[in-house]
Amino acid sequence: MSAVVRNLPIRRKVSLIVMLTVTMALVLACTAFIVYDYGSDRRSMADDVDTLAKVLASNSAASLIFHDPEAAGEILSAVRAQPSIRSAAIYDRTNRPFVTYGQSDVRWLPRDYADHVVIGADSIQTFRTIRFRGEAIGTLYLVADLRELQTRMRLQIVVGSSILAATLFLALLLTRGLQRLVTDPLLDLARAAGRVTREKNYSIRVTAREDSGADEIAALKRAFNNMLEEIESRDEALRRHQAELSGQVEQRTSELHDANRALVHAKDIAETVAEINAQLSRQSALILNTATDGIVGIDLDGQLTFLNPAAAAMFGKELADFQHMTVHTAIHYRPDGTHLNDSSCLLGYALRRGESLTRANDEFCRSDGTAFPVEYSATPMRDEQGRVLGSVLTFRDVSEQRAIEKMKDEFVSTVSHELRTPLTSIRGALGLLKSGMLGSVGAKGQRMLEIAVSNTDRLVRLINDILDLERIDSGQFDLSRDPIDAHALMAQAVDGVQTVADAAGVRLVLEPVDAILWVDADRILQTLTNLLGNAIKFSLPSTTVTISGLRKDEMFTFRVADSGRGIPANKVDTIFERFQQIDASDSRDKGGSGLGLAICRSIVNAHGGRIWTEPNGEQGSVFLFTVPVSPTSTAASLTGELIGPKTLLVCEEEGSATSWIVATLRKNGFVVMVTSADHVLAGAEASRLDGIILNLAPEFDAAPIVDMLKGHPRTMNIPIGIATAHPQASPGSFAGNVRAWIRMPLQREDLLSAVAKLCWTPQVLIVEDDADLARVMSAALQARSIRTMYAANGETAIELCRRNPPDLIVMDLKLPDMDGYAAVECLREIDEAMQKVPLVVYSALEVGASDRARLELGPTQFLTKTKDSMQDFETCVTNLIRGVTPHPEESQHAA
Amino acid sequence: MPHKHMLIIDDEDHIREVASLSLEMTEGWKVTTADCGAAGIELARSERPDAILLDVMMPEMDGPSTLRALQLDEATKGIAVIFLTAKVQAADRRKFLDLGVQGIIAKPFDPMTLGRQIREALQWPPTAALTEAEEKDKSAA
Repeated sequence: MSAVVRNLPIRRKVSLIVMLTVTMALVLACTAFIVYDYGSDRRSMADDVDTLAKVLASNSAASLIFHDPEAAGEILSAVRAQPSIRSAAIYDRTNRPFVTYGQSDVRWLPRDYADHVVIGADSIQTFRTIRFRGEAIGTLYLVADLRELQTRMRLQIVVGSSILAATLFLALLLTRGLQRLVTDPLLDLARAAGRVTREKNYSIRVTAREDSGADEIAALKRAFNNMLEEIESRDEALRRHQAELSGQVEQRTSELHDANRALVHAKDIAETVAEINAQLSRQSALILNTATDGIVGIDLDGQLTFLNPAAAAMFGKELADFQHMTVHTAIHYRPDGTHLNDSSCLLGYALRRGESLTRANDEFCRSDGTAFPVEYSATPMRDEQGRVLGSVLTFRDVSEQRAIEKMKDEFVSTVSHELRTPLTSIRGALGLLKSGMLGSVGAKGQRMLEIAVSNTDRLVRLINDILDLERIDSGQFDLSRDPIDAHALMAQAVDGVQTVADAAGVRLVLEPVDAILWVDADRILQTLTNLLGNAIKFSLPSTTVTISGLRKDEMFTFRVADSGRGIPANKVDTIFERFQQIDASDSRDKGGSGLGLAICRSIVNAHGGRIWTEPNGEQGSVFLFTVPVSPTSTAASLTGELIGPKTLLVCEEEGSATSWIVATLRKNGFVVMVTSADHVLAGAEASRLDGIILNLAPEFDAAPIVDMLKGHPRTMNIPIGIATAHPQASPGSFAGNVRAWIRMPLQREDLLSAVAKLCWTPQVLIVEDDADLARVMSAALQARSIRTMYAANGETAIELCRRNPPDLIVMDLKLPDMDGYAAVECLREIDEAMQKVPLVVYSALEVGASDRARLELGPTQFLTKTKDSMQDFETCVTNLIRGVTPHPEESQHAA
Repeated sequence: MPHKHMLIIDDEDHIREVASLSLEMTEGWKVTTADCGAAGIELARSERPDAILLDVMMPEMDGPSTLRALQLDEATKGIAVIFLTAKVQAADRRKFLDLGVQGIIAKPFDPMTLGRQIREALQWPPTAALTEAEEKDKSAA
């Protein structure tokens, strides 16, 4: 039932509600009215009947007393006026009917009667006691019929029903009209919602009608419209967003697509790269595996991390055999723990500092303890940021090469021996014949002998030169470079050709120079001698040959000028070729081999220099060649050092037995100048001397000369030695002015040791990167007759100590390439002698007690730049130097 | 001054002949010769020469070996030795000097100055009798 109602259209529901309401109202109202009406009618009827009964009762009392039925009847008949009274009766005291009226079924009164009214369904019965003087004499009984009332009620019901029907009809009509007001807007809404749903069109709006006021439906409509509007705007926004989103999605998609394509491309590239990498790595592996050179990887700790097959084969070991070994131990130690050679190994040091190192002459050790000669090169490996990751050591077993070199050396040696041996006999025999000691051969014969001798000599020179040139050009000879004083070298060359010059009447002039060269002294001397020899050879008597030099930057240019016949312009370039004399007759007349200049050029080239010739103004020619300046003397003024030949001035009386001393000294590599007692001061001033030897006659008093030399500022610091045969001469008279006392006669060794002591000057190595400070220190020490060498960095210092051990080292702790600790460590590695060299650590910061032990070399002093003055520095150095100076008594030859 | 006595050890007959003639004639020294190291050592022991002129390149026992043997022998270790050699490289010279020889004379030598070269190397004074001749020779050169 409820489901049926629920499914009814809303207007029906409204109608139904209205109908039901109306019906209910009317039914209730009518029922109430009718029931009430009926009730009140019945009560008023009952009252009327009762009242009538009372009247009748009182009226009939007399009749009863008098027992007059007629009169009683008459009285009773009065009820006729009351149509509703159906019957009436009067009962006597015994309750027997006395009089009756109507069709009422008169009967005996029930015993329990009293004055009461009984309202029944269709009648009202009234019992009333008839009293006379208060005494009940009878009972009146009336019965009123209720049918009239019922009829009236029925009529009322009919009327009420009619009214209900009419009302319902009216209500129906009304609801029809009313439902337009209620349902139509709702239907509008429903329809609109339906359309919106069907068409998905959110622009549809429910139209607000004229009659729609401000009721709930209007509010609903507005809410609906608002909702739609909201939906529409949301929808719009959504659509826009969607459009945007789809645009974005499209864009993203296309991006993604692009990215994908790129990725695919990248993947291709990556694959290609991987392929290439793989190929490269295969290639690298192949290269490493097939390389005939040994290749060794070394990590930062100096441990071996890689060994290619060639290296493993050369060592006779695998990588595993080298575990926990530093590279130095791995290559330089025999399995029994002994060291292969005495030379210090710079490899570990260079690798620690991330530097390259190349060595042409080293030996590595095989697993069986035997050594093989190697050339090696160690190069640091760096990543893109330049950090050192380790190093690669490549090396080559040069045994074969060395064997070939040795064979060649032997060949050269053999050839020179085999050619020279017969020449020696020929030359000797011819020389004896020529001397005439074996008898005269006549003028023509003598001439022939002279020709034979001179050509034999030429042949010997030619053989010597060819072999020499062969050696140099084939790279067979090693330049043995040292820091060499240019002036001393030039003086030595002049000394060597002086005799020839004198014989030719040519004057030799040596212009002083100041430079330390980085050269092979023997070879440069050979070159200078050759050029000087040529200059003298082609000079006319009484002309001058000048040798000079000039330093420019890192190169020094030697210059040999003559006023000879000069070099024709067309020969300037070819003159240095082999057998390219200007005139074919020269070789005959001048006795040259034609190889001298070629040898000079080879020597100069081997030094990294250049040789050429220029015209010497109007007359003669100049030969020039360059050689490098010593890397250890970046500032010439810093090195008062004369490494190389010592220059001595020997003062002798003219006509005395020269010169056993002079000859001996010259033979032993000294540059010796000779002067007389009268010119000793001039001679001593002219050159930079390492010592003066007064070789005077026994009766000659040396004291004035010594005083003169010591009193002159330029000569006061030159050590003086006195050679004397005078038995009474005593060194005591000269106090400390004479350093060496050479008692004649003596043996060569004694002379040399006396002279060595004479020339001994302490040599201090200053290791300091501040060149200005070094210059100041250098000057201070030189003023105290201490020679100085200078190194601006640790590596130079170590190299210098190796070649030319100093008597004392002054070291700054902060060097550009390594700190003082590393430098001292490397110095200690050089040899035992170096471990005894005194050291002055002259640093900006005070060195803590714990660090001092790490800096000890020999006797070691610590000075602080800020705290200790230059005087303190000088005193410190001088005191330490005293410890290494030969004792004064030692320099005196025991009498 | 007694005449000096030289021992020449060289495997080349001609060189021995020329050198001894040269020394005898220019210096007036007594010269003994040996053609190999072993024979030279024997002679050095028996003859006790003042100095030995020793060839460097010889078959069997070469100059340096002979020198070592002489130095190790009590009887001969005081005798000065001068190398006679065709090796003239500076490096060779230094090496030889380190072995303890008193001098090195290059081949070929000038027979007229061979004696003087030996004297200078050994710091022997000029032979008085020959000083004049030498001076003459010098001026002639």
